[in-house]
Amino acid sequence: MVSITTMSRAAGLALVVALQTGWTPAALADEPWAERTRALGAVTEMPTGVLSKADLARLTATGQALFEANFTTLDGVGRPQATQAIDPTRRKHPRAQVFFRTAGPDAGSCAACHNQPATGGAGDFVANVFASEGFESADFDSLDPQFSSERGTNHLFGAGLVELLAREMSHELQSIRTETLRQARTEGAPVRRKLETKGVEFGFIAAEPDGSVNLDELDGVDTDLVIRPFSQKGVMTSLRQFTVNAMNQHHGMQPDERFGARWTGSDDHDGDGALNEMSAADVSALVAWQATLPAPVRQVPEVDGWAEAAARGEAGFSALGCTTCHRPALPLDSLSFADPGPFDQAGTLNDRQVAQTAIYDFTVLDWAAALPRDDRGRVLVPLFGDLKRHVMTDNQINALGNELLSQRFVERNIFQTAELWGIGSTGPYGHRNDFTTLDEIILAHGGDGRQARDAYAAAPDADKSALIAFLKTLVILP
Amino acid sequence: MKPMRSLFFALPALGGLLLAPLSTPAAAGADFSSDVPILHEEALEAGIDHSYTGGWEFFVGGGVASFDCNGDRRPDLVLAGGASPAEFFVNESQTGGALAFKPLETGLDPEDLTGVLGAYPLDIDNDRHMDLVLLRLGRNLVLKGGADCRFQKANREFAIDGGRAWSTGLSAIWEKGNRFPTMAIGNYVDRSAPGTPFGTCEPNQLLRPRPGDAPDYSEPLTLEPGYCALSVLFTDWNRSGRPDLRITNDRQYYRDGEEQLWQMAEGRPPRLYSKSQGWQRLTIWGMGIAETDFDADGLPEYALTSMGDTKIQKLDEEAGEDRPTYRDIAFERGATAQRPYTGGDHKPSTGWHSQFADINNDTLTDLFIAKGNVQAMPDFASFDPDNLLLGGFDQAFHEKGGEAGIALRTRGRGAVVEDFNMDGMLDLLVVNREHPASLFRNLGAETDWGHRPMGNWVKIELDNGKINPDAVGSLISVRTGTRTQTRRIQIGGGHASGRAGFVHVGLGVSERATIRVQWPDGEWSHPYRVFANQHVRIIRGEANARYWYPATP
Repeated sequence: MVSITTMSRAAGLALVVALQTGWTPAALADEPWAERTRALGAVTEMPTGVLSKADLARLTATGQALFEANFTTLDGVGRPQATQAIDPTRRKHPRAQVFFRTAGPDAGSCAACHNQPATGGAGDFVANVFASEGFESADFDSLDPQFSSERGTNHLFGAGLVELLAREMSHELQSIRTETLRQARTEGAPVRRKLETKGVEFGFIAAEPDGSVNLDELDGVDTDLVIRPFSQKGVMTSLRQFTVNAMNQHHGMQPDERFGARWTGSDDHDGDGALNEMSAADVSALVAWQATLPAPVRQVPEVDGWAEAAARGEAGFSALGCTTCHRPALPLDSLSFADPGPFDQAGTLNDRQVAQTAIYDFTVLDWAAALPRDDRGRVLVPLFGDLKRHVMTDNQINALGNELLSQRFVERNIFQTAELWGIGSTGPYGHRNDFTTLDEIILAHGGDGRQARDAYAAAPDADKSALIAFLKTLVILP
Repeated sequence: MKPMRSLFFALPALGGLLLAPLSTPAAAGADFSSDVPILHEEALEAGIDHSYTGGWEFFVGGGVASFDCNGDRRPDLVLAGGASPAEFFVNESQTGGALAFKPLETGLDPEDLTGVLGAYPLDIDNDRHMDLVLLRLGRNLVLKGGADCRFQKANREFAIDGGRAWSTGLSAIWEKGNRFPTMAIGNYVDRSAPGTPFGTCEPNQLLRPRPGDAPDYSEPLTLEPGYCALSVLFTDWNRSGRPDLRITNDRQYYRDGEEQLWQMAEGRPPRLYSKSQGWQRLTIWGMGIAETDFDADGLPEYALTSMGDTKIQKLDEEAGEDRPTYRDIAFERGATAQRPYTGGDHKPSTGWHSQFADINNDTLTDLFIAKGNVQAMPDFASFDPDNLLLGGFDQAFHEKGGEAGIALRTRGRGAVVEDFNMDGMLDLLVVNREHPASLFRNLGAETDWGHRPMGNWVKIELDNGKINPDAVGSLISVRTGTRTQTRRIQIGGGHASGRAGFVHVGLGVSERATIRVQWPDGEWSHPYRVFANQHVRIIRGEANARYWYPATP
């Protein structure tokens, strides 16, 4: 905090003048030790076009700095008059304290939670977050699940590939819808089709000749057929949306593209005195850094017998039925990541809201160039997931049914298949981070995972052990 | 690093913390920060070349009906022509593209289509083909709709006489237990009465269906006194579930008249609300009624257009329960729009059609008003541009007609705010007196590189079943976050203009919404969860909403 009493008389006068006139000596704001984030605003314009490797590196360096920055009140931390809701929502009465464990702001930086085994990684139980719709003004901290759902912090390695997969899958599902409608209109009769993309089935869609579609038989995807691949629940469309949401929830740093005057009528929606806290260009830098985080890899510890055990375990992983949902790889046609992307809606910038998007060509990144490809040239993204939501409890096995709140139309016992790449680096496990061993979390699978879980439970101990050995080879190497 | 940004950024933050840690957020104030839609006039390119013409009988009227007549759910148009024949246009606009309409040859007698002042769509016989009531100078015409925009005269079939009055307004509602709608028809001056036109207002008419399996309106009721009505609207003003009938009247011609509210009771003739019941005398040059509900409390507000000030009436909370006492909030909301906002003519404005809508998809209610001199009244503005009053976060309306591009030198009359190209952004058609109609395509917000879409939206179509299939009278409640918006499905109001079809709701930055419907019989639906930017169909009795998609080329 700047204190007039500790300053020279002239400097103190200068500050008073500055506060009264709007003029400030540059040194006050720009000195190297200023208590604000220098990376904020470092990118002055949103990037456009295909970025060179060097330009991408510069952009991601700023993104990393923002991700690691301990934002301060001078940056705009805190939201005394706004809630954590994804729709800009005013509190009924202001809060004096900056931090609030459950309703947020709850972190000084992104990296404060995303740090296992490195910045951008997952979080320990201590770094759990609390998800609620945030439309009410929370007045007290409570871990009671009737108020919020406690969730572990996911890692972000390979997140760019995940978003690209989701975009291609969304596009294909919507293309199926379009074709089904076209056929129904042409034939003058209802048409029902399977919704399948990249080998993952999402139920059926039925089209009427009048252009209506019946959505009763969808499975594991939202009714707009947009795959939302982020969060434990699979309710966030893009890294950009995730970033905008998280900056508000966890830091009270409100990106203009949703909380600015265009949508709230105010440059200071959260009422903390800081105007225009985060520009679209800042968000772009954060997205670029997250999107280019390398994909997790396989690494077998140099321990006698581990490689053999892992090989047997991988075979068992398939044989037991785990790969029904934890698909070892999904094929990806293109490594060009456009930001803003195509599926976000107003409130998160999308490609219709800007003159030109930026293109991050992942092929210039060594780790991406090294990814395996299939015989059609498609990149095989080894995520061990299906980007689909599943029921995870049943009448007997309901350890993953601890939550009481649905989230963004997704019922409380339904979660997106966890991508297992990197799981060897990111314990504890489960959506609440409260399973300390892989064996425990496997045995907690109910609902759609019940059959594979039962097969695992019935397997000989040696096979179980081998499967664990395999899973522990899926690691993050920063 | 961007030093300049840092300088500008740091000081307000520091000042804010030192001086007013929890100060009120900067309000929008006089600044308007939401998107201003750019409305591109393209009537001729779109195939609409139509003027509303005629002598003093056609100084009023000039309505338009917007509804789907060929089953593709795109809004087609019928434009009143006054002394010229009314014209029908089929919508051939591509989704999100330029507007395109094709004139429709109906095969109807040109004489029947002449003398039309207004047009309202309404499925009178519940056959899921929209019928059409043409309000005429003389016998009103009822056209029964069929497939592929086929229309046939149905006055005889529905036992609707049509009268001989100078009709200007219509509203319809399905009264409790009735198979077919009750229609109220507003009439203007009785030209045959001694002393006409002053003090010779024609009584209005109430058409109630007789019991039976087919529409039979052979026993109309007279609503007397009439005070030269220019707009009528059934409205549930006190959330009683039983709409009453509001009529706005033109003081130019009545003597001792006023605005009216008729109390409806099933099976009994309507009765006027009296002063002792709370109704307060108001005399204006009433031209059009629009209804909204700013705070979704179930007690609607009304915009009444007039010469000079526009009124926005809000139920007076201090008047007592169930008393129709209103106070005018137009001034405090910045919506009086009493004189032109551009062009240098400072004489009073003349307002006609009014319609509430969210034309920039920011969740805030906007208000369109068609403006135009009656003909050449010297005491009123001759250049009198239409208003586009955009709702602001400061609870006030902001005039953006000039910026949007609708400040044309025309004499507006009827109009419809409608999404003609099914892109979720509301377009606009204005019928002009002695001038070609204006058709504006909403391009979105202007940027230095082109136009960008505005906020999210959802459009909703209800299916109430066999009786009243379009669910006229329903209330749609749309919840996003802590905000609730409502829309009432109504036939009536405006100035001689009506619409039917998808109901549009702006969603701003919300990507999901929860919808509940209060059906016409008062029953509330379960919540329907929908995503933004969808055309939604809610069919009574079905568990899930359906989505609808326009045909692609």
